[in-house]
Amino acid sequence: MKKTKTIFEDGNHKWVAIVRDPDKPNYLIDTNEYLVTHGSHGMLLDPGGAEVFPAVFSALSSEFDPSALTAIFASHQDPDICSSLALWLEFNPQMHCYVSWLWSSFIPHFGGSVETFVSMPDEGIDISLDGLILKAVPAHYLHSSGNFHLYDKVAKVLFSGDVGAALLPPGDDGLFVENFDAHIRHAEGFHRRWMGSNEAKRRWCERVSQLDIDMLCPQHGAIYQGADVQRFINWFDGLQVGICGG
Amino acid sequence: MTMTTALTTRPTKAQQAGVDLLRIVRINEEIKSVVGVAFKINIMALNAIFLAKRAGTAALGFGVLSNELRVFSQDLRDGMSALTGLIHGCVTEVSVVLQDIRHTALLRQAVERSPAACGHEVLAAREAENDRHAERLARLRKQLRGALDDAFRMVELGGVLAKSAKIEAAYGQSFAVPLSQVSGEFDGVVEEIRASLEALRRSAFFTGN
Repeated sequence: MKKTKTIFEDGNHKWVAIVRDPDKPNYLIDTNEYLVTHGSHGMLLDPGGAEVFPAVFSALSSEFDPSALTAIFASHQDPDICSSLALWLEFNPQMHCYVSWLWSSFIPHFGGSVETFVSMPDEGIDISLDGLILKAVPAHYLHSSGNFHLYDKVAKVLFSGDVGAALLPPGDDGLFVENFDAHIRHAEGFHRRWMGSNEAKRRWCERVSQLDIDMLCPQHGAIYQGADVQRFINWFDGLQVGICGG
Repeated sequence: MTMTTALTTRPTKAQQAGVDLLRIVRINEEIKSVVGVAFKINIMALNAIFLAKRAGTAALGFGVLSNELRVFSQDLRDGMSALTGLIHGCVTEVSVVLQDIRHTALLRQAVERSPAACGHEVLAAREAENDRHAERLARLRKQLRGALDDAFRMVELGGVLAKSAKIEAAYGQSFAVPLSQVSGEFDGVVEEIRASLEALRRSAFFTGN
């Protein structure tokens, strides 16, 4: 079963990371899911693949009523991001799924109807969660051509999808990055190959450097916090991406 | 597990749905071959009509029967087209049932693992929906069987026409030999279709064995 860890809490506003399933088959990539709650509403960020749904559901339900989820945020179109969509919709068929306009006719192959999807324009949008404004931040071509991250200026949290992701070796399962230099080695190959554009990367680094971020939360690996956030942005800015070793 | 094993031991719902899908595919392939033969009857009947015209009054009855065989060919193609529509419906429903099975298994795991013991109502609603899909599939299965029976009766009528044409050919005087040959071919192809449909009516898709 996955564990939940509250990474931010202030009154009725909370961020919960759903992470690390020891029972997960090795052939599936490990994923982090994040739940943002505000008041009685909840939004699940990159809810994960259908195969990990039971683990994510059971962990989430210990913290929050799944039928009170009002929205899903899909950073991009990959199956590990949202192939569980149809299963979550069983709990609340009126739930909305926020996704780039580019993928809004692809993701319905995972489930949902025309009413389910809110297509986000390239420049991003403000999403209201029971009055809390969350910003969809453009991250196109990192690593998908239509890609968004989600910024919460109250919690100072940036959910960064695959940016910042690291493929950690077995046993290295801390929730937060503790030794940046050691950690970043596990992120380098992934970023070189999976991020498609140096120009897009440059723009993203400029954009997020202007945000006040305490935690940068990727979909794989560990969370960057404090000074490691800017350290990561600087490292990423200097990295040549879109390179295939072969 | 091989299909043979799946058929001889008690199959799981997913295995059963997989086997059903395979059986529907086989029915569809057989129907495609019947459509091909029906088209052949149409061409044969057209040639038979020309032959009857050349034979004149001696082959008037043969000409009428040849024309009826053309109508039969068209009716048969229409019947096969309706069967194809039902088969597509069955494929869709079996696919939905397969997806139901996977989703229900994942939902059940989720609910069983949930420490908050929530989701039972959603699981029950999903199971009720699965039952509705299974009922729809059962209805389609019944309709398909009915349509196959209708097609079989139509082909039996076609067989009567072909046999009557054989009798009429005997009165064809100097054209008796070519008319007999054509009517024999009619009889052969109609018998071929009859055997195909007979086999389809015995398909385990309908008997569930």
